[in-house]
Amino acid sequence: MASSSAPPPSTPPPSSLSASSYYEVPWVEKYRPTKVADVVGNSDAVSRLQVIAREGNMPNIILSGPPGTGKTTSILALAHELLGPHCKEAVLELNASDDRGIDVVRNKIKMFAQKKVTLPPGRHKIIILDEADSMTSAAQQALRRTMEIYSNTTRFALACNTSSKIIEPIQSRCALVRFSRLSDQEILERLLTVVETEKVPYVPGGLEAIIFTADGDMRQALNNLQATFSGFHFVNEENVFKVCDQPHPLHVKNMIRNVLEGKFDDACSGLKQLYDLGYSPTDIITTLFRVVKNYDMAEYLKLEFLKETGFAHMRVCDGVGSLLQLSGLLAKLALVRETAKAP
Amino acid sequence: MGKRKTAVVCSTSPEEDAGRKQGSRSSSSKSFAAARKRTRGGSSQCGVGEISDKPPSRGAEAFARLSEDYCECLQDFPSTQGMQCSKGNELWVDKYKPSSPAQLAVHKKKVEEVKNWLRERLIASKEKFGNHVLLITGQAGVGKSAAVRVLAAHMGAELCEYSTPTPTLWHEHVHNINSGLSYRSKLDEFEAFVEKIGKYSLLSSSNAGASRKATIILIDDLPVTNGRVAFGRLKKCLTALTRFAQLPTVILVTEYHRTDNVPTSHFEELVSLLERAGAYKVAFNRLTVNSIKKVLSHICQEEKRELPSIQIDQIAKASCGDMRNAINSLQFWCLSPDNLLISYVSNSMDINSRVLSDSNKLSPIVGLFGHEELNCGTDFSYGRDETLTLFHALGKFLHNKREVMDQIGLELESLTLREKFERNPLKMDAPEKVLSQAYGKARPVTDFLHENVLDFISDGAIDDTWLVTSYLSDADCLLASSLLSHSSQKLTEMDDSQRVSQPVAASVAIRGVLFGNKQPLSSRWHAIRSPRLWQIEQSAQHHKNKLMVERFYFSNGFSLSLSQMVTDYMPSIKWLGSHTTDDNGHEKLIQCITTDLIPPADNFSSNTIESTFREKIEDDEIEDW
Repeated sequence: MASSSAPPPSTPPPSSLSASSYYEVPWVEKYRPTKVADVVGNSDAVSRLQVIAREGNMPNIILSGPPGTGKTTSILALAHELLGPHCKEAVLELNASDDRGIDVVRNKIKMFAQKKVTLPPGRHKIIILDEADSMTSAAQQALRRTMEIYSNTTRFALACNTSSKIIEPIQSRCALVRFSRLSDQEILERLLTVVETEKVPYVPGGLEAIIFTADGDMRQALNNLQATFSGFHFVNEENVFKVCDQPHPLHVKNMIRNVLEGKFDDACSGLKQLYDLGYSPTDIITTLFRVVKNYDMAEYLKLEFLKETGFAHMRVCDGVGSLLQLSGLLAKLALVRETAKAP
Repeated sequence: MGKRKTAVVCSTSPEEDAGRKQGSRSSSSKSFAAARKRTRGGSSQCGVGEISDKPPSRGAEAFARLSEDYCECLQDFPSTQGMQCSKGNELWVDKYKPSSPAQLAVHKKKVEEVKNWLRERLIASKEKFGNHVLLITGQAGVGKSAAVRVLAAHMGAELCEYSTPTPTLWHEHVHNINSGLSYRSKLDEFEAFVEKIGKYSLLSSSNAGASRKATIILIDDLPVTNGRVAFGRLKKCLTALTRFAQLPTVILVTEYHRTDNVPTSHFEELVSLLERAGAYKVAFNRLTVNSIKKVLSHICQEEKRELPSIQIDQIAKASCGDMRNAINSLQFWCLSPDNLLISYVSNSMDINSRVLSDSNKLSPIVGLFGHEELNCGTDFSYGRDETLTLFHALGKFLHNKREVMDQIGLELESLTLREKFERNPLKMDAPEKVLSQAYGKARPVTDFLHENVLDFISDGAIDDTWLVTSYLSDADCLLASSLLSHSSQKLTEMDDSQRVSQPVAASVAIRGVLFGNKQPLSSRWHAIRSPRLWQIEQSAQHHKNKLMVERFYFSNGFSLSLSQMVTDYMPSIKWLGSHTTDDNGHEKLIQCITTDLIPPADNFSSNTIESTFREKIEDDEIEDW
């Protein structure tokens, strides 16, 4: 029940080979951890959730953090571990796609809280509100008293991206647990296990590329991996960037290096190549930003480069997405380098 | 009861009855009352429906019907208590509820104030008092309801809480439209409740009987109103309640931070309205760190968990004066695996070693906060206050600690810069990483840096200030685009663009401060202030939004710019409002304008416009329930 209700990730069109043989489950679902202990990253928070899974008596909690860091997964796994066979009747899961207006909160949630289910000691009914920051504040207000009155039998678990969108009275009634982006190492470990069980042929560079494109988001990493695999049956750098349709960071990196070395012509021709490949200016700039962020250069240069990239991005977002803008960005970067260079 | 049949979820499994006490199962109202008494731990609180075991007066009956749902939810409690086998099953918030006035963490003077008010009303309730309404305001978790509960119990009064019945779903109502169920909004129900309290004074009449205890009515969840008309009704209702209440009534209103994106306008309006109507207002301030700490360490003692005092201090600080959140955080924090193991073996030797092991265990996380704060940086991630995690990151950015110069490292770089652009390597991880570990967001970071950076720049360094300010303004400019998209419709495209603009802005701000501050002041202790500019901006935004909403209500037929709203519409509303005691200046203005616009002779069309207006308003109301 739990896994099926999650929003379906963007699966690639299955290749002719696999489509004819069987229907492929999205790997995000297939490899979704079912135990709290298996959740990757955020070890401190997860270890506490593990204790809850063992001891019961779950407090009301809010999990907040960026997407793809395992909030929903941990809650679902926690609910399964706590309630086991009672899961069907003792868990109410509502996410943003369900009707969650004020009347539903007042009626459905209250009815569920009043419902009587025989549970082992230390276990409570659980109401999971996924994407709770999309609830209206009126609906959240209506939740307030319910949370308190039925705390003997029913506990709440909320997941959200920004905790400040949860109204204060609700925040006050919950323990707030923050999730942060996963580190590259953590994602890599998980990818390796998936690659092994799915028998995906790969080169290390390919996995690195996937991690680069995922940017700390496990869901995206798995989706990209599956997309690359079903598209090309081989995971290397090139295929990953083809599938994810992002400019190759190495290419962009070369561009930056050329600028830093004063070879402006080379940098420009590199940019032209990228542009001719059909990448949109936004994509190029996004990659450029990530590359600059991690590029090892003098502090002043990095600061100025970031600033110029930011402004160029702003202009592109305003609608001026021409090659001229991108070349202008390169020119500005070169200018920064010229002014800063020791005579 | 008819209402309930429509609900699908409500079902009682028969085998479960074994676990609960048989007496509570019987449906006589006497045992309802008894059960209720038991549930609330023998304290003297009980539902409004209590009067139903008296010989029914006319009003009482109506009242009982109104509050019948409340009885039902109270009925649930005995069953849950029967199920409760082990002791450790409660939330600590419930378990350690204050039970005597001395235990309240609220300031003594405020408690005294409430107590005196209640005593006056309770003892001399026969005498004539102007008003019977007490209004308690305060932020979430400062102990408003706890104070009222404890004091009522202390004085031996019954506390009757207004609680809204479970409503039927709208589509269920549509489905069963012929079965005679009536569909009422919360506001309707609240109005009916107030009306009954005022008209029949039924509680006092049934009180007249014998040695009944005095009664206090508690109203905690006021119906949520949405839109001007519904809010107007609520206001009218509350005014009536304040004027005609016969029994001491306590209304709790939760105060919000101004910075919240929740509409707060209603709060101030409600409070001032109630005060004008004659309610006595007591404002609870947020709790001090010390009082929270006291309670937390008391709980730790009771639970036999030994926590380092630094830890308690951190939790108390992170809770922003919110006791409930502090206790919740404490409970969650105590779940740490090795805490559990060691809490059973409680001797002082272990405690020391555990503190060590704790800081070791957490050190990978702590490491990011810097070496000097190793033992106090354990878990910032559990408080309500997001800024606390930010503070440590900000402190690092502002103090701007750098390695001592060594030429060898610089020689290796391919590109040498002019001297004025050279900086020594930073004594920290990449700023972006520090920020992400501190859960920082671009906007607040920029504002905080802006507010505080001047304190950290040495006195004569005007050049540094110039640099820092220009970078901060760049960051602000970069953020502006995301601000725009924030206020407008959230498109996925916008989200995408924010993925770049936000981190860029944060990086520029932080790196700008790091780079620009060439000779930071030697590390001196500075308090980091919260940005004033930000607050002003927030409230400006908030007022604008409010006006936009009003414009929406006002604008069918007329289109007004924002400045017209401010210069023409608002003053006239105020002016009209000063002439009328009621708060329907808005409607009056509409009348004025409609009659202004339409020749007076043409009464018919004026009426139609008026009526379309009303229709429009009524349409709105349906959504509001």
